[in-house]
Amino acid sequence: MLEVTTRNLENAVVVAIKGDVDLYSSPKVRKIIISLTKKKTKNVMVDLTQVAYMDSSGVATLVEGLQQVGKYQGSLKLFGLESAVREVFELSRLDKVFEIYQDEEQALGTLA
Amino acid sequence: MPELISPKQDEISYLKYKLDRLSSLIEVSIIINSTLDLDEVMILVMEKAQSVMGAEASSIFLINEQTGKLECEIALGEVGPVVKEKIELSIGEGIAGWCVQSTKPLIVPDAKSDSRFAKKMDEETGFKTRSILAVPLKVRNKIIGVAEVINPVRGREFTQDDLDLFSTFGRQVALAIENARLHKTSLEKQKIEQQLDAARIIQESFMPQTAPTSKDHRFEVAAKSIAATAIGGDFYDFAQFEEDTLGVFIGDVSGKGIPAALYMARLVSDFRFHTQLTREPEETIKAINNLLVERGRRGMFVTLQYTILNILTGLATIITGGHLPALCVRAATQKCEIINSEGGVPLGILPDAVFPSTEIQLQHGDYLIFFTDGITEAKNLQDKQYSLERVVTFLEKKWTSADEIVDALITSINDFASDARQHDDITLVVLKWC
Repeated sequence: MLEVTTRNLENAVVVAIKGDVDLYSSPKVRKIIISLTKKKTKNVMVDLTQVAYMDSSGVATLVEGLQQVGKYQGSLKLFGLESAVREVFELSRLDKVFEIYQDEEQALGTLA
Repeated sequence: MPELISPKQDEISYLKYKLDRLSSLIEVSIIINSTLDLDEVMILVMEKAQSVMGAEASSIFLINEQTGKLECEIALGEVGPVVKEKIELSIGEGIAGWCVQSTKPLIVPDAKSDSRFAKKMDEETGFKTRSILAVPLKVRNKIIGVAEVINPVRGREFTQDDLDLFSTFGRQVALAIENARLHKTSLEKQKIEQQLDAARIIQESFMPQTAPTSKDHRFEVAAKSIAATAIGGDFYDFAQFEEDTLGVFIGDVSGKGIPAALYMARLVSDFRFHTQLTREPEETIKAINNLLVERGRRGMFVTLQYTILNILTGLATIITGGHLPALCVRAATQKCEIINSEGGVPLGILPDAVFPSTEIQLQHGDYLIFFTDGITEAKNLQDKQYSLERVVTFLEKKWTSADEIVDALITSINDFASDARQHDDITLVVLKWC
């Protein structure tokens, strides 16, 4: 069962996902991310530390989030990618689309 | 109508009374097995209950799964139509709501003095409720609603015996409701399956019906695409430019099922249109990317590979957008090379993205192999993936035709996956430069 929680930081909102993100579970992630982009949340950071598997539906959800924040000059950064998930991003060159960081601290460090 | 009779009064009358009640149960069972029309079943059963129990009115309320409210499905008696139209209860509200919440049957001898009774029932209908018998409708330990009979006639009162009999009616009704619902779901599922099957046939028509051929046998092409569900998001296509150039297009749309299939259908027509406008592969891919970004929905994207082969020289130009690398099996050495290229990002994400091309010179007899990740990520029952390494190793042998490679590789993947479910679309295109 996928769990998605949000945590408000001073200048960002962290979306922590726990579980596999696929065709069936990605709508749950989408709901949270889209609710943040509707509120024009300036910086969204997605914590993937506890995601062992993500399929292309999951990636599409993050792409949609990225496209939405782009409309109001916000940012969507990813961090904590496990090796299998990192491989998905690297193989499909999505590492060139997303800003990907090692951990939350590193991602936070890039915020002005 | 049976009168309330004590066994002490007259044993024969009592047995007759019991027999009547047992007969009513058999009749209910016959009604339930005679039709799948749920409304008809509920009306007939409640009519029977009303008559056996000697009641003025009866009703069935079912829980609406979406709203969580109790909605009146059947209401018999003089104000039945009004009840059905106007009354909706929350769980816990009124006698019906209490019965659902507590999951217990109950007799209310005097509704007016019972604080659980919802006065709006009488206020809105003009009915005078005196006494109620309510039983929860339960299927596999889940409450789905409540049945009630109201106001025993001729001054009698509802008894424990009535409650026991009505509880049995309730179990039968609940089962009938469940059966009718299952039947409806199964019909709906059947309808969807028929539609998906029709969609699959239409989708198959988008794929090339025949592989392109070369008059003087300069090349050979073979391809196969197997969707994980009825319809899928993988695709391939060919473009033939006069006599000297062949285009091969393969891709994988994010997600699965209907959205992916519709996205793919439009993409194939975009590809056919743009290959008519230009022979330059970079131009084609750039134009398609910009189109997809423009009409992007829900973050959907596509990974693809577009290869142009100069049939006369054997020079292949490959453009990749987030797709897995193509492979080349050399006829001379039987070695399989992974054609790593800089490549671009998947299409449909970044406007004005750049898609650099890679060139590879083929020798006569060499094969180019294009595929989607359903091949490398095919899983067996131990959750192991077929993997790119396995594909490369498998291909390192002498092949006689493009068809042979397609058939052998698909067979190898099926053997590997064994009884494991195919979880992603599989597409394979093999091109031989003869």
